[in-house]
Amino acid sequence: MIKSYKLRRHIANGLIYLLLIILGIIWISPFIYLVMHSFRAEGLIAVDHLIPQQWTFKNYIDLFTGVGGNASINFPRWFLNTFVVAIFSCIISTVSVLMVSYAFSRLRFSARKKFMNVGMILGMFPGFMTMIAIYYLLKAMGLTGTLVALVICYSCGAGLGFQISKGFFDTIPRALDEAATIDGATKNQIFWRIILPMSKPIVVYTVLTSFIGPWTDFILAKIIMGDNLDNYTVAIGLQKMLHNDFINTYYKQFLAGSVVVAVPITLLFLKMQKYYVEGVTAGGVKG
Amino acid sequence: MKKILAILMAGVLTATAFAGCGGGGESSNTNSGSSSKSGESSATGVNASTVDYAYFGEEDNVKLKVWAPDAAVNLVKQQIEEFKKAYSEKKFDITVVAQGESDAATQMLNDASAAADVFSFPSDQFNKLVDAGVIAPVAKGFTDFVSTSNSEDTVKAGTISNTLYAYPETNDNGYYMVYDNTVVTEEDAKTLEGTLAACKKAGKKFIFDAGDGFYACTFAFTAGAKIDGLEEDGTQKFVEYDEDAAVKTLQAFAKLIKDYKGTFTSLNVKNVASGFKNGTCGAGVDGSWDTKVNKDSLGDKFGAAKLPTINVDGEDKQLVSMFGYKYIGVNGSSKFPNSAQILALYLAGEECQKQRTEELGWGPSNVNVQKDKVVTESPVLNAIKAQAENSCTQVNIASTLWTPMGNLGNKLVADEWKPDDADATRKLLQDTIKNVRDEG
Repeated sequence: MIKSYKLRRHIANGLIYLLLIILGIIWISPFIYLVMHSFRAEGLIAVDHLIPQQWTFKNYIDLFTGVGGNASINFPRWFLNTFVVAIFSCIISTVSVLMVSYAFSRLRFSARKKFMNVGMILGMFPGFMTMIAIYYLLKAMGLTGTLVALVICYSCGAGLGFQISKGFFDTIPRALDEAATIDGATKNQIFWRIILPMSKPIVVYTVLTSFIGPWTDFILAKIIMGDNLDNYTVAIGLQKMLHNDFINTYYKQFLAGSVVVAVPITLLFLKMQKYYVEGVTAGGVKG
Repeated sequence: MKKILAILMAGVLTATAFAGCGGGGESSNTNSGSSSKSGESSATGVNASTVDYAYFGEEDNVKLKVWAPDAAVNLVKQQIEEFKKAYSEKKFDITVVAQGESDAATQMLNDASAAADVFSFPSDQFNKLVDAGVIAPVAKGFTDFVSTSNSEDTVKAGTISNTLYAYPETNDNGYYMVYDNTVVTEEDAKTLEGTLAACKKAGKKFIFDAGDGFYACTFAFTAGAKIDGLEEDGTQKFVEYDEDAAVKTLQAFAKLIKDYKGTFTSLNVKNVASGFKNGTCGAGVDGSWDTKVNKDSLGDKFGAAKLPTINVDGEDKQLVSMFGYKYIGVNGSSKFPNSAQILALYLAGEECQKQRTEELGWGPSNVNVQKDKVVTESPVLNAIKAQAENSCTQVNIASTLWTPMGNLGNKLVADEWKPDDADATRKLLQDTIKNVRDEG
């Protein structure tokens, strides 16, 4: 038994850090591999060695200038599509989520509890369960293969994810609302002028989650877009690059593309990071 | 309250489920209707890949979508321009979309009404497409001409219960051996032993995807366990074979693989081109679809041959592979069934096949093009043709074939496998056949 408390603490800390370092390496190695190999010059597809022998920016340049000579692969277009879809669904879903949460948190109306329960139950079904139904509904409206369809899918159900921001609104004292009401403010004014400015963290959280959705969603986009290559998003576009017809030419561009996709999300995260943690934890407190 | 809610939810769900079924049923109805229509309108036979305007029936302002594999998109676009010229009295709006042939059936089954009117696909997807009723048979008036102008094998493979379901497009959907001719000589390439020895000497790999049933079935086929169509319930049939001889062949494979450990590598076929490019691969088994990239990687060093032979008890046995064809099919729910048939007939015709052979290196199914010197003088197409004579046709394949065959391959190349253990090999073969026939 080691007597010295200090030594014991050092050993314990050492072991803990060692474990954390190992876990950290395991977690980050795929990303490092991805980034390194997106700069690889040699080989066509995967290579045996871990560290590239020749480095180049060519994969990135090719990705955006369409070298590879193939009209079907148009990464800049896909990137733009995704960006547009992400912006629109982000705006629509943020507004709708916050409004729904506010209504459930502040207003008292009959069937409020029931609506919340329905929302909970609907939220329990995984999104892809209704995929086929969504496809045929969109087809009936003549929207399959369009970006509008994607925006509709990503943002129209967003209101169901009200739980976290409702939790956050519940923590804002009702006394504020009452004071505003006495001063003559309507419910609408209270929401925009009083509650929203106080809820930055949760707004940021909602913006982030709804912005990331379109970048990472694969199945829904795949089934809606079908063979309409011009309207592909990055997720299905990148998968297309790995298809048998393309993989030999586009594997390295695929790696580069995967890195590029991370850029807008990362930028947004960096910008909004300081609110993010606050938002996640604040919403978890049940009021 | 909760109960009522639950019932409501369940109701909504069943309703959506039925809605889905409804859609599917409808589309299959329309398709059977339209296919019979296209049959009626073409009463007499044709004898060229362009036909009389009468075959269009009432159709004008035709809007069609064509699916072609990516490599062929530009060529198909040119061919469609020619098609429009040939029928200048009609108005066409034809779009060509890149769609990998390997996914064609899946995409068709997803939603046939949103899929292409004319699409190309490999022969193994036939049963799927016909069972689902999404493919329209070749118009009756065209059948005789299509059957006589294409090779017998492709027509036979495209005929299910006496109906020809699609227009033969290629006669080359199989794999063969590609090699770096500075490593492997033409003489070496004749035997597996020679090829492996040459690769080992040069310190390069021989790549064969033993874990993929499509390639790994070579082991079983070479051993004698060839497939022989399907039984009525869809179970895979095998020909009668001598089990003792089969076990010996498998042992010979395993021994050779063990002897050339490090040289014989089981990797995805995409590594062949990559390996040629960075100089780690000496030879490999790859398909006709990768011919172009393999040629680009090797340049003048490109060599092609049929699969080699393997020495079993002093006798050289030819490796037997899986071999298929590609077809052009017409969507059963096409809005312009007659025009779609006419376009498919044109695209599968002699002239278009010849262009694809010249520009893309595809092996034609048309008997006249097969005699042309673009085909007879192409080393790749000759290698494929030679291999085709030693192959099982990729039609009527049960979906249970691939995984057990891949498993067989994986076992044979595994480090811990003992080539001398005849009993284990026999059991492996028996298990594989049993699993394919789903009797396990």
